Amino acid sequence: MKTAADLKHGEKVIINCVNSKHPSAKRLLEVGFTPGQEIELVNRSTFNDPIAISIRGTVIALRRSDADCIIIA
Amino acid sequence: MIDNLTSDNLFITLVGPPNSGKTTLFNYFSGKNYKTVNYPGATVDSAVANLQKKFNINASLMDSPGIISLNPETDDEKIAVNYLYKHPKLGKPDLVIVTVDSSQLSRHLYLAKQIINSKFNVIIALTMVDILEQKGFEINEDKLSEIIGCKTFKVDGRSGRGIDNLLSYINDNKISFKEETILNNHSANNNTDDVLLLYKEIEKIEDECLVEIEDKKNINLKRANKQLNLVTNKFEKKKCNQIDARTVKIDKVLLHNTWGLVFFFLIMSFTFTSIFWFAQPIMNFVSYIFQNLADEALNLAGNNWFGMLLSNGIINGVGSVVVFVPQIMILFLILGILEDSGYLARGAMLIDKPLSKIGLNGKSFVPMLSGFACAIPAMMAARTIPNRRERLLTIFILPLLSCSARLPVYTLLLAFLFPGNKAWIAGIVLAAIYLFSILSSILAAAIINKLNNKVIKAQDNSSFILELPAYRRPEVKVVAINMWHSGKLYLQKAGPIILVLSICIWFFTSFPNIDPKVNTDNISQEQVNELKDSERLATSYAADFGKIIQPVMTPLGLDWRVGVALISAFTAREVFVSSMALIFKVTDSRGSLMESMLDAMKNSKIGNTEKKLFTPSSIIGIIIFFMFALQCLSTIAISRKETGSWRIPILQLIIFSGLAYFLSFVAVNGLRILGLS
Repeated sequence: MKTAADLKHGEKVIINCVNSKHPSAKRLLEVGFTPGQEIELVNRSTFNDPIAISIRGTVIALRRSDADCIIIA
Repeated sequence: MIDNLTSDNLFITLVGPPNSGKTTLFNYFSGKNYKTVNYPGATVDSAVANLQKKFNINASLMDSPGIISLNPETDDEKIAVNYLYKHPKLGKPDLVIVTVDSSQLSRHLYLAKQIINSKFNVIIALTMVDILEQKGFEINEDKLSEIIGCKTFKVDGRSGRGIDNLLSYINDNKISFKEETILNNHSANNNTDDVLLLYKEIEKIEDECLVEIEDKKNINLKRANKQLNLVTNKFEKKKCNQIDARTVKIDKVLLHNTWGLVFFFLIMSFTFTSIFWFAQPIMNFVSYIFQNLADEALNLAGNNWFGMLLSNGIINGVGSVVVFVPQIMILFLILGILEDSGYLARGAMLIDKPLSKIGLNGKSFVPMLSGFACAIPAMMAARTIPNRRERLLTIFILPLLSCSARLPVYTLLLAFLFPGNKAWIAGIVLAAIYLFSILSSILAAAIINKLNNKVIKAQDNSSFILELPAYRRPEVKVVAINMWHSGKLYLQKAGPIILVLSICIWFFTSFPNIDPKVNTDNISQEQVNELKDSERLATSYAADFGKIIQPVMTPLGLDWRVGVALISAFTAREVFVSSMALIFKVTDSRGSLMESMLDAMKNSKIGNTEKKLFTPSSIIGIIIFFMFALQCLSTIAISRKETGSWRIPILQLIIFSGLAYFLSFVAVNGLRILGLS
């Protein structure tokens, strides 16, 4: 199961679903990470974590552990 | 400031997601100049102001922290949602204006729709219309109003465009807003399915209301394309969701995978060194003016008790603190530029990983940065940290960061250590002190984090989710006004305390023996004055008190006079400087106030001995004491308020002040053993 945490730099994908059991799921949905949306990994921090993902016309920085609940394939 | 609520006074609440242009709109309505910060929680507390008279509507307006949804996750969001439903003083709003960034329509309509569904009287203010137009789209506002179920207006909070329409609509519907409505409590249903359903609804609205601007050149092409079925729906959508091109370019550098953190440290170092270097010439000038004023006052009033009160007690006491206003203003100028540009969120992202290792969060960065200005707003800014343990830990270490009230103390002491042409070293040492305060706070966090549950209870689910807003040019006017305000606030906060304390300290160091009898045989008038000064101080009330604290001060190589200054610094750290100016009687020397203070310090001896009171080692000892000691009553009070109990503030007071005394003792005596006097 591939999640947004596995994205490579510049990779564009469509969100498949969001793991609703993950504690960050609700907040991620609320900021716009809903199924069907296109996301792209646009930046990575120096330690490769957190990552910055573009969604719905903005960029959200999130930890890989948060990105783990965004399932892309 | 706020008029009493009469029947025709509207109470309007401004709500919106972070970075939606909410505070800009608030400033336009109220004529105030609050700082708009590209960071969630920037408006940590709610602000209430009256609508400007020129708009001809009698209304109170509330601005509150930006929220993403009505289901709060952090304390600042909780406050915003609670205040939306019921302001403690003004109650339920008659009208809610929701700001919605047009270029992020779906994300921002999410909150607007939640508020509409909660049955508030809502008006949507569509901001950043120009940014959407640059992307080639516009919003059909009539259609949007119709589908979403509330009136919408395109506005621009910077130029005021479109706000007239919004206001005249408010004016026309004043009476209907006043009607009693029953609100739905939103928090009743907030599982993930609800979020998805709401977004589905909004996406439909977005599809219907977002129209591509058809410029003439493209129309024919588009028709042709349509016939060939080349333009797909997906393509259009993608285009309106493009992120700001300039931001992408800047982030390629500032968020670079390897260099990002290097730039981060460069920006931070520049901030701290420039405080010292930029301010120095202005400070010299202010210092010079006050010294002349004090001399003039003494000449005019004569060498009696009134003249001494005026020049020693009031002008020198107050002047020694006013001297540092330029430094404070420059600090706030740079912080303001950083905040207004949108870099803060990036800083938080870059530093999240290192901070998470010691039990903090990337979101601790902004509170820590404001800790360099003052611990009080910094502790309030910690509300944006969702995880309680991380938040308490952040609050715990904040007093260690070198706040602006310590700047005067360090500047004075460093000027003593590095006089004249060695002054440039002082700038570097000051930057080092700042760096060290970061290190010590990190160390403290790491240690407390290791002690784990003993000090602050553990809590799971640490997360970091933060929007990186588009970069924008800082608004000169807002940054400048904010700088001016911070200078004014510094004087307002410290001013009265310093004035009162200056007079008190002057009194206790001058009485009861205001005109001591000294042997005047064979000595010049100058020597007589000096002898009188020291005799007066030695027989004063302060000296009586000093004998009690002398045993505590001796191990640090200091005497009771510094002790009195240190104790008075508990009201506000900068009072230390004015107390020193008073106790060491800074008058009748040429040059600036700072120079004569340094002269007086150089010449002071311990007791009746020939041993110098201020030596490099004892000065370093005082600096170390100030780096650690929690000597600020307001900080203790706000720590109590933000953490909800006395536990943390008392621990902070004991640990930090104890550590300060111990480390200062070790430093002074260690240096003396090593041969540095």
